[in-house]
Amino acid sequence: MTTTEPQSRDFKKLYKKEVANLRLRANLKKATIQALDKRNDSFAELDFDLLRNEAKKIKQESVSHLNELLSQFEDNAHKNNCAVFYAESPEKANAYILDVAQRHAVKKIVKSKSMVTEELRLVPFLEKFGIETVETDLGEYIIQLAGETPSHITAPAIHKSRTEIAQLLHDKIGIELNDDPTFLTGEARKALREKFLSAEMGISGANFLIAENGTAVVVENEGNARLSTSAVKVHVIVTGIEKVIPKFSDLRIFMRLLGRSATGQKLTSYVSLIRGPRRQNEKDGPDEVHIVLLDNGRSALVGTEHQEVLHCIRCGACLNVCPVYRSIGGHAYGSVYPGPIGSLVTPLFFGPKNAPDLPFASSLCGNCTEVCPVGIGIHHQLLAMRHEIKAKTKRGVEAFIFRTFRKTMLRPQRYRLFSRLARIFSSTPIVAKAFKGWTHYRELPKLPARSFREIYKSERGKE
Amino acid sequence: MTDDREKIFASIRRGLRGAEKSAALRSAASPLTSMIQHGFESLFIKFKRELEILGGLAEKVENERDVSAFVTDHTEPASSLFIYDDLANSLKSIVESLSVNRRLRFGSEFAAGYDKREVAAFDAALIGCAACVAETGTVLIQTDMRLPAALAPKLFVIVERSRLIASLDEVFTDRFGNSDASNLFLITGPSRTADIEKQLVKGVHGPKEVIVLFLNQ
Ligand code: SF4
Repeated sequence: MTTTEPQSRDFKKLYKKEVANLRLRANLKKATIQALDKRNDSFAELDFDLLRNEAKKIKQESVSHLNELLSQFEDNAHKNNCAVFYAESPEKANAYILDVAQRHAVKKIVKSKSMVTEELRLVPFLEKFGIETVETDLGEYIIQLAGETPSHITAPAIHKSRTEIAQLLHDKIGIELNDDPTFLTGEARKALREKFLSAEMGISGANFLIAENGTAVVVENEGNARLSTSAVKVHVIVTGIEKVIPKFSDLRIFMRLLGRSATGQKLTSYVSLIRGPRRQNEKDGPDEVHIVLLDNGRSALVGTEHQEVLHCIRCGACLNVCPVYRSIGGHAYGSVYPGPIGSLVTPLFFGPKNAPDLPFASSLCGNCTEVCPVGIGIHHQLLAMRHEIKAKTKRGVEAFIFRTFRKTMLRPQRYRLFSRLARIFSSTPIVAKAFKGWTHYRELPKLPARSFREIYKSERGKE
Repeated sequence: MTDDREKIFASIRRGLRGAEKSAALRSAASPLTSMIQHGFESLFIKFKRELEILGGLAEKVENERDVSAFVTDHTEPASSLFIYDDLANSLKSIVESLSVNRRLRFGSEFAAGYDKREVAAFDAALIGCAACVAETGTVLIQTDMRLPAALAPKLFVIVERSRLIASLDEVFTDRFGNSDASNLFLITGPSRTADIEKQLVKGVHGPKEVIVLFLNQ
């Protein structure tokens, strides 16, 4: 296994542990309900369907012209004096970023939130080479100190309570034990400010890449991305190839959708439109900007029935509405991409063998599809993926049961025989044992002593 | 280090080969969707409401004297203020009156490669802006010095009323898309986080206070 592969094969073990954690469930419930309420309020004054249709059209256009748009973006980024590097695999992307850091003798990196860098496991990779790499988004900073991975796309520390965070910061950075969020945030600000002032390199993601003018768009609320991209000598942007969109004017649509879907904001506090390194007449900003475009399974989705997964803008709304995510949290998925979209992306990017159970971690209620701002039919995609996985993996007992079930249902005599046997044996300990997984949380319904047909027959006989 | 451009492009080409031929890339811009009314007064009401919901402040001021009085009222005596050059050059009387009891520093005093720590110590920054957006309470800035406005705990934006535009539709146009500068920042209210139990805290890394003054000139 490479260092970047997910642990999703252990989903069944992981979710059992998480589902029993009642405190986690309470934290998640509170946070996701609040996020959803705000989302719904923020769309009140807009026509969500209209924007979603436009966004979907733009994303479809982008993927069906991906080569053309990537070339156009690359040309314009070069004109803006950025270096562009395409990486087929996480290993290749990591090696390039390390090379940039080593060429500049970088000792400290400030990093803002980016799911792609999580996909690369970039931070542990760089630290292995002695380069201190500090997460500067507050949530990411907290989980970095805890030695954990994010459990939500936009709210990485959603699983932690304030008391846990207070204890963590007390233990790790030696602050007074006080669980007031304002106090904790202020202390983190002080610690991180020092990092910003001493780091030589910054790493960020990009939410969108604009083909027509070579702009990278970075969206955030705290101001840490703005500093990670401005207060350094070298800035590396790491993002997926699918982030390119044709026009600057397309941001009219996406900027209205992203903040609302993610956190219920009409616009996030900061949108940084980055067009390259410091110009000659500018007094700060990086001297070099590198843009690393990662494939890692994305290009192979083009032209397949899963192509629309590439439309995702990583808003996290589908996580907030998902009854499964709300019960088990992000870590149970064993992947950097949790929730409904993670259950698709993980097997697609890392191979179905690495996440065979994730497409089944859904009730297929369709809530995710309902809220998705780019109109991905998430639950349809999940169902399709289940079929694919089932077709590839024959599971003996399960296949036998379904074959027998099918045969039984096709013949009335067999059905009658089966139901008679079921009525006789349903209350015996053997059956209770066989269904113990199912009956752990609910009762097996009691079957009546006689079937409808039998009652009907005997009643008619009386007439 | 050689990259994987050709491999990735070939993989995308393979995927698209079987797909239906798609229409050529569109030349038209994305549609306008805002319904916000124009006219300074109605735009100002909208801007103020949006910014103040987020914990910022927006005011109309008549002249430079009012600006100085406002800044004086909203900063501590002897505090240190950074003033961007374009603002300092166009609003000289503000500089004169503030210099009486505030420590002022100007962009012109700093050259490329300046000491970040010196800039991080300012109590407030005063900056002009390219435009303000009523729809979201947003300020657009493009500067030759990114850090003072990003680091100061308090940010004053002083802007002529004619720069207030209705919506994001007008931001994402050639006017702002084709500039030569390395950066354009959209700032909407104070820096904020809700990473601890979803409780909102302002002033995480950037300004805790954002104050926009619309000058009648
Ligand atoms: S799939 Fe849709 S709802 Fe989920 S994160 Fe992506 S864009 Fe947001």
